[in-house]
Amino acid sequence: MNGSLLQTRRTEGHILWPLWLSVLGLMVVSAMFIFSTTGGPEISRDVPWYLWTASRQVAAFGVGLVAVAVLMLVDYSRLARWSMVAYWLSVVLLVVVHIMGTSRNGARRWLDLGPIQFQPSELAKLAFLFAIANFLARPASELRSPGVFLRSLGLTLLPLLLILKQPDLGSSLVFLPIALVMMAVAGVPTRFLVRLVGGAAVLGSLIVADILFAPESWRLIRLQEYQRERLLVYFDADFASRSATPEQRQRAAQRKRQMSWNVEQALISVGSGGLTGKGWREGTQHRLGYLPRLGAHNDFIFSVIAEERGFLGSLAVIVLYGIILFSGIKTAGEARDRLGRLLAVGVVTLLFIHIFVNIGMNIKLMPVTGIPLPLLSAGGTSVLCSLIAVGVLQNIHLYRKRY
Amino acid sequence: MLVFDQFNQAERPLRWIAAVVAGGLLLLLAGLLKVQILGHRRFEQSLQTQSFQSVRVPALRGRILDRDGRELVGNAPRYRLDVYLEALSRDFGREHGRLRREILAARGGTNTPTPGFWARVVGKFRREPPRLLIRPEENALLWRQARYQVVSNVVARVAAKVGLPLTLTESELHRHWANSRALPLAVLRKLTPQQVALLTEQSWSIHGVSVELQATRHYPHGALAAHALGYLVRADDFTDDEGDSFDYRLRDYRGAAGLEAAFDAALRGTSGSKSLLVNSYGYRVGETVTSPPVPGQNLVTTLDLGVQKAAEAALAAVSGEERGAVVVLDVRNGDVLAMASAPSFDPGEWIDGITRARWTDFYDVPKRTPLMNRVTDGAYSPGSTFKIVTALAALENGLDPDRVMVVEPNPAKPGKGLFQRGNIRIEDLAPPGPYDFRRAFIRSSNAYFIEQGLEAGYERLLSTAHRFHFGEQTRIQFRASEERSGWMPEPAEARSGRWPLGRLANFSIGQEVTVTPLQLAVMVAAVANGGTVHYPRLVDRLESGDPLSDETAYAVRPGQVRSRLEARPEHLARIRAAMRDDVLDPEGTGTSARVADYAVCGKTGTAEIKGNGIKDKVTWFASFAPFESPRYAVVVMVESGASGGRTCGPVARAIHEHLRTRDAGTPRPIAAIP
Repeated sequence: MNGSLLQTRRTEGHILWPLWLSVLGLMVVSAMFIFSTTGGPEISRDVPWYLWTASRQVAAFGVGLVAVAVLMLVDYSRLARWSMVAYWLSVVLLVVVHIMGTSRNGARRWLDLGPIQFQPSELAKLAFLFAIANFLARPASELRSPGVFLRSLGLTLLPLLLILKQPDLGSSLVFLPIALVMMAVAGVPTRFLVRLVGGAAVLGSLIVADILFAPESWRLIRLQEYQRERLLVYFDADFASRSATPEQRQRAAQRKRQMSWNVEQALISVGSGGLTGKGWREGTQHRLGYLPRLGAHNDFIFSVIAEERGFLGSLAVIVLYGIILFSGIKTAGEARDRLGRLLAVGVVTLLFIHIFVNIGMNIKLMPVTGIPLPLLSAGGTSVLCSLIAVGVLQNIHLYRKRY
Repeated sequence: MLVFDQFNQAERPLRWIAAVVAGGLLLLLAGLLKVQILGHRRFEQSLQTQSFQSVRVPALRGRILDRDGRELVGNAPRYRLDVYLEALSRDFGREHGRLRREILAARGGTNTPTPGFWARVVGKFRREPPRLLIRPEENALLWRQARYQVVSNVVARVAAKVGLPLTLTESELHRHWANSRALPLAVLRKLTPQQVALLTEQSWSIHGVSVELQATRHYPHGALAAHALGYLVRADDFTDDEGDSFDYRLRDYRGAAGLEAAFDAALRGTSGSKSLLVNSYGYRVGETVTSPPVPGQNLVTTLDLGVQKAAEAALAAVSGEERGAVVVLDVRNGDVLAMASAPSFDPGEWIDGITRARWTDFYDVPKRTPLMNRVTDGAYSPGSTFKIVTALAALENGLDPDRVMVVEPNPAKPGKGLFQRGNIRIEDLAPPGPYDFRRAFIRSSNAYFIEQGLEAGYERLLSTAHRFHFGEQTRIQFRASEERSGWMPEPAEARSGRWPLGRLANFSIGQEVTVTPLQLAVMVAAVANGGTVHYPRLVDRLESGDPLSDETAYAVRPGQVRSRLEARPEHLARIRAAMRDDVLDPEGTGTSARVADYAVCGKTGTAEIKGNGIKDKVTWFASFAPFESPRYAVVVMVESGASGGRTCGPVARAIHEHLRTRDAGTPRPIAAIP
């Protein structure tokens, strides 16, 4: 759809073919496996085909591609001028979601707009990406001033803290590495970065220690109990406090088993897939409800793919992501200006963190968080933002030679 | 190339990013390789354990047949009503939701999902009821309650339909749910065909309920031959030699006595297994039979249904005492045609478990012991029937059967004889007077036989008893623990002279020692057939449980000879003639067993048991017929009877009357199963 538009520009190599072919491949995989997971129950419940989760995902792909095509009409540097507007808009939405968001599992993350539910934190990531790229695109000499560094830090921390307050630990922590990488590429002096990394490390370990070991009344971050327990599972820590009675201890041990359940089941899904998998729609883990019913088609979609298509399927998915990520790095190298390079680097970092954390969670490399797998997980906001992010790469590539 | 070019990027940060991304993806691949390839087997196993559960499926138990293929024990269909929990799981959810809402409403709160955007904007200006949470423990209890509501509702509807009071307690359901959720819950085990018809009407159906057909042990003749056949008990103690450990086992039985126990493995067959696919709630989603059960083999016995019925009827006709035993052997080959023990029991009662009252009857009434097979497992003093052994020993010791011995009268009881030597005084029931061998045998003179026994001596008497294998098990095809060997004195003990003469005197007339009715029947058969001691045979063969196969898995050769008496024919002939005269001669003790035109030969016995100051009797009638060409040995034993002639003779007569009409005397081979 954007092809015809691009061909009018008469320049060769406009389209990042490997990138879009990979995106297309992932979209097909996504629709197939979302159907594999949710299709059966939905057909048996007589849900009309246009309301299937898989159909809604395809619709989201369509909307996303149209949005990408529209954005393609405008040079990214022109788009970036609106970045602060988008940033503040997303901050406002994050505040709104705090006041009147829909809660699931005790976390307020969604805005319920009738038929569509919208997740502002996904949008905030993208808006933040544009804003910080735009901010850091100033001449490198200006970046040596501590004031500029502190302002960029503030730019990062505002959405981070708002999302942490939802609470959504996983999504909020995504902001830090993105900011760090973009600052490094922009040329912020190393001494600042070292301080930032050191500060973040100290802060991070304080947060983790606070969550894991502090008595309840000392906790600064009020995570929902299940989120705390997810982390406890990952660090294999005791659920019961040190002063707990034997009965409380026993209950805590039982809770721990329940909470380790998802991790264990994801592992069993992935592991039982073996080399070639059980075949499409032949996986049993989601069908029998061992994978979390609400998560199999979004957060745990990779488990389903790995179970039904085996190691070869996992390998294919990782290769597709690899092509997208390296196309992004290539684009960054070819960008005509600092803004383009920063944007491309930001997109690559954003996608990579999502991919690594989500897939890592399926093989117990990472703790369980609500971070979706870009393009594969079911969910409109995530799909839209992922496609726009990829579209930004294309945009940078498209306008790279027009000085 | 796309990937490697990025490591040569002009800018250092980009090279770093390329390296980190490549490293990260490789790390993921390594992790996946570890989980999916190296860990595949382990996770596959976890998957199997959690989503498949194996169920042991018992095989159809083999039938037990009589010699003509008539069924003694079989299998009958039984209809069972099952409730399938997995089919009701959605109802459980609905009911749970309802209960939850009720509780929340009662506490004045709400726990409904958060309303939509606009409702919430408006809601800011309204007072919302407080949101309450239900604690997990409370919630588990709610689920339990919800399940019981749903299932008991279903059960109540079924009950109303068939018109039965069906009750299901909450704890029963919970136990089933906790222990065997993947299996259907049996609400009613015995449905009549009428009830089945009502429940399977097309216009009527209840979700989650179905009627299952099952095979159950069936005894077409009730208590007939109960002791020989044995009974079944629930087999819950699987000491599995089947190797597998199962998650569930369907109800199975094992033989607890008689043939059911002795041939348990063959009758039981090989259990199969099926594998249930269960979901994360533990409910069944599907099942596959992994190995079908192999039905047990059919057991063909040597019993004859007609003779067995006649024997039991005759024994039951004894008035008063009901403790006794009857055994009928084919003297030519040792085949057991009938084996009856009273009091008896109905093996069918054991299938659903016996009641407390029956349990008391079975175990707690002194001397009754209905479960004991008195034919093999009861050892009693043989009394005067043992004089057959003494007679053989005496004849072989050179006794002139025609020599007359005069028995002195008993001074205390004039009319009765008395044996007196030294300090030995043994009263006789026979009158005093002159006795030759024949008269002494048919009047059962104690004095005469004690005299002859003392004459023959201890060793000769005991070795003659040993030639009939008294004091040893007959090795009939029961478990060894269900057969007694009886008691005979130790040879060494007597040889050393430690046996006083009085004991030898008592031994000569069948006191002091014990025998089983079966041992006595084997002895009678040996005398009747001219000196061959057979192993009694109760089992003919085992046949494949598959009706299409006529394969014989195991066969017991008929007429297996244990030993030969090596007695002179004229000695045995003289004993046989004496036995004939005991019944035929009006002076004999066994006249009550006389059958018109059929020469029944017998010997009565009345053993006196003194113990704990109570005097009791064991009465006997050991017989064979017909005299001219002996065919059947019939031994009757009644505990606490009046005397052998009066109590047991008529029983033997009734049985011989049946045997006489049974066939014309041609040997019949055991028929194949129809």
